[in-house]
Amino acid sequence: MSIMDQNGGSVIAMVGKECVAIASDLRMGNQALGISSNFQRIFPVTDRIFLGMPGLATDVTTLHERLRFRLNMYTIKEEREIAPETFAHLVSSTLYEHRFGPYFIEPVMAGISKTPTGKYKPFIAATDLIGCLNFAKDFVVAGTASSKLYGVAEGLWEPDLEPEDLFETISQTLMNAVDRDAFSGWGCIVHVITKDKVITRTLKGRMD
Amino acid sequence: MQYSFIEPPWRPRKGYLIMAADTTAARSIVKMKVDEDKIKTLSPHLLMAYSGEPGKSLSLKDPRDTVQFAEYVERNIRLYQIRNLYPLRPAAAASWIRRALADSIRSRKPYVVNLLLGGYDTATHEPHLYWVDYLGTMTEVPFAAHGYGAYFALSLLDRYHNPEATLEEGLETLKRCLDEVSKRLVVSPSKYKVKIVDKDGVREIEL
Amino acid sequence: MAFPNVYQSPGFEFANEVRNNYLAEKGMPLPKATSTGTTIVGCLFKDGIVLGADTRATEGPIVADKNSADTEFTTALISSNMELHALETGRKPRVVTAMTMLKQMLYRYQGHIGAALVLGGVDATGPHLFTIHPHGSTDKLPYVTMGSGSLAAMAVFETGWRPNMEREDALKLVKAAIAAGIFNDLGSGSNIDACIITANHTEMLRNVEMPNQRVQKERDYKFRRGTTAWKKEDIRKFVVDEQITLIGGDEMDTS
Repeated sequence: MSIMDQNGGSVIAMVGKECVAIASDLRMGNQALGISSNFQRIFPVTDRIFLGMPGLATDVTTLHERLRFRLNMYTIKEEREIAPETFAHLVSSTLYEHRFGPYFIEPVMAGISKTPTGKYKPFIAATDLIGCLNFAKDFVVAGTASSKLYGVAEGLWEPDLEPEDLFETISQTLMNAVDRDAFSGWGCIVHVITKDKVITRTLKGRMD
Repeated sequence: MQYSFIEPPWRPRKGYLIMAADTTAARSIVKMKVDEDKIKTLSPHLLMAYSGEPGKSLSLKDPRDTVQFAEYVERNIRLYQIRNLYPLRPAAAASWIRRALADSIRSRKPYVVNLLLGGYDTATHEPHLYWVDYLGTMTEVPFAAHGYGAYFALSLLDRYHNPEATLEEGLETLKRCLDEVSKRLVVSPSKYKVKIVDKDGVREIEL
Repeated sequence: MAFPNVYQSPGFEFANEVRNNYLAEKGMPLPKATSTGTTIVGCLFKDGIVLGADTRATEGPIVADKNSADTEFTTALISSNMELHALETGRKPRVVTAMTMLKQMLYRYQGHIGAALVLGGVDATGPHLFTIHPHGSTDKLPYVTMGSGSLAAMAVFETGWRPNMEREDALKLVKAAIAAGIFNDLGSGSNIDACIITANHTEMLRNVEMPNQRVQKERDYKFRRGTTAWKKEDIRKFVVDEQITLIGGDEMDTS
């Protein structure tokens, strides 16, 4: 039993047309015993960046506190909002600092950034627990259901989905994957980030 | 070694929170004490039930571990109140305790303490309950339990917990949980302490 | 109580190590690095060096093709130190300098930083090609391969490499070596990256060959909107209210 599976939980992020989505389950357990069906593991970073942290639950809280601190220091020094790419490197270097005593978290990031020409560019990324960045053009997954998420996402995802269609695709991918995972599930939450709004929905799914 | 069962507190929206814990202090297979109070009153509207990690490799751990940690928390929460003239709210207290545990597990001799923190927020008039373990895992929940009894208690609470229940109904559900633990657990404890926190503060009751 | 320090000390942080070892003792094993492979190569030719790599991206708790994060961060660190060095000395940097900096760092960490690299370049002293291993040992050879696909790639080099090759022939050979890794080594895959370095020019060839392109999916699973039932919705609009006041009349004075 790996320490990565102690509390369970999974996160997925997908790219759409001028939008991105990030979603996770809501379970937090102690091995097979479910403790909470409302555990937050996706956190807003800026208006248009969200960070998902599947892995050991205590590290979700600790790392969230640590990143919030570093982000505040960045924002104060730079006097501007952080860009998604920069934030990804902030996460990556924070984790690599702990190369020889890692946090048991595999972060997933999603956001949209404004290009100099005024267009909106979707952005997703994930890292392993020591901060090796993986920028993807389609989707990224992590957590106890990651292998299942890969399979379903590979089949369902297609390019240039509109926000509402992306919501359906990511929701169905996540729900069908976590239903096959003993350590993920107990409800899901989805955030769809577009240029002018963030839609957050709590899904109705299996609670067993 | 200390077996302990912290039994199901929960927070219906009626503005109260019930917390119960067994009163046995055991070392290995021997009951050392049957009147131990495992629920500390941290501040006028804050309760903390605590226990050691059941079963696993605890034979090496001193059972006083849990008590020492509880006293450390108790005094720091008290100190805050003396310094600032107002107590920490439940969410802030939970956060502080979580951090204390997260720091502890990064030290040479960690405390192995699991706990439940329940409080009545006098600012919003809402009860809150936090499930916290020795790793520093913390989550807010409508009902929770630690220990071997948790397996029975949580199942019953999944079925019978009602956020709208009156205090009498709430205590009835608690009794159901304790009865089930007595009935089904091999090493079931004999006595429980039950405490309630609501707008009037903390009080202990006999079930 | 430990309060966070605004001034963080540079270098690695070992705070979690005590805890992680304690948990491992308690029977919660630390995640193992999944050994996923890679193929990286380099070879000498008439005017310089050609480097090549596969582009397989891998998944797992720790991506460990001789540790991806380690190679990434080590390269970034040495790269910035090289730039500082060049600025400080006022000279163009040399390949041996980078090689020495890398091996000294890796040796200091006694192999715990699992970076395995192929380093090549052309400087004032001519073209140089090295392999650097995680423990800090280095080789200087006319053609080199590393990673799990190194055997397949080396087979290609051993048959095809000649001294004083032409640029195009060398590139072709590197592509063939990487392709051998991609198709014969399970850990390597996807596309071919190459890089041609000569005395006064470096050409980066990202995805020069893409032998594993996905075909267009024949069917799709687009869901009808409303398929997913949800319990709660919260929409956070960034523009709550917008009012545009036109300022009529005079043009702004820009003289």
